[in-house]
Amino acid sequence: MKKKQFIVIGLGTFGFNVAKNLSEKNVEVLAIDKNEARVNEIAPFVTKAVTADATNEKVLKTLGVSDFDIGIIAIGESLESSILATLLLKELGTKTIIVKSINALHSKIAIKVGADRVVYPELESAKKLVESLISPNILEEIELSPEYNIAEIIAPKKFVNKTLGDLNIRANYKLNVIALKHKIVYLTDTDETDIKTETNISPDANTEIMEGDILVVIGKYEDIKKLQEVV
Amino acid sequence: MFKQKKKITDQTEQELIEMGKFYLINNKFDEAIIEFKKALEISPGNAEIYYNLGLVYETKNELDMAKKMYEKALSINPEYKIVKQHLDKIVGL
Repeated sequence: MKKKQFIVIGLGTFGFNVAKNLSEKNVEVLAIDKNEARVNEIAPFVTKAVTADATNEKVLKTLGVSDFDIGIIAIGESLESSILATLLLKELGTKTIIVKSINALHSKIAIKVGADRVVYPELESAKKLVESLISPNILEEIELSPEYNIAEIIAPKKFVNKTLGDLNIRANYKLNVIALKHKIVYLTDTDETDIKTETNISPDANTEIMEGDILVVIGKYEDIKKLQEVV
Repeated sequence: MFKQKKKITDQTEQELIEMGKFYLINNKFDEAIIEFKKALEISPGNAEIYYNLGLVYETKNELDMAKKMYEKALSINPEYKIVKQHLDKIVGL
């Protein structure tokens, strides 16, 4: 199967890390920035790194951007450059375009000129940080719809040494436990202690909850919040 | 006489650590903490004890305490690789 091809435009902290992490996933990555020093920095990690102006149509044509599956525009400094690059990638035929948004207005414009998806890392991180401060027992939360979420919750103390059957979480909390994560302490080859995490997908009613276990539950946002308040 | 006394103390410290590890591996966290704390009384500058205490708290998902213990271990031995890995994971790096 042909490797997926990605083009990353703009190599600030976000773009650099996107390009580097993509390369680690064994896909082809073309990285572009106007700043030569940034290009040199990413060059050892990606398939190809080019110093170029991504708002220049001729340059993008020469680089063959129409052949790429996904274009990620991570230009952080200039709204105008980001919008122009989005428009050009769309016109030249890049299949999917993802734009890192600079502000709320930029998000709207990016969609209008052809972005398939807009990411706003600052806003997403801020939301996550606030959730982690307000609900420290919720380790991770994924929004499935405005009403339903999947959340990782540290098992409340009163659940410890009880089975899922005893707790009857579906009836008592209106949530389904879809997985249970359990930390195991073991001895390494060098006789050092370390931890590994075992995930029990779809745990049955006989599964016993141990101290420190993490419940992965699916359900309504307010029901997840109620479970989080159980101690 | 002095040397002999020191040797006995060292052995006791190692025995306490081994007991703590035994309890830790068997999910007996409270007992593990007691053993590691006794070991710390004998040897307050032993990074391995703080690392193991960090593991106890990490397994219990008491991450603030785990972080404190890993930081103490690193303040004693800044090159303690496995501790750095656990601390990075907790801090979210």
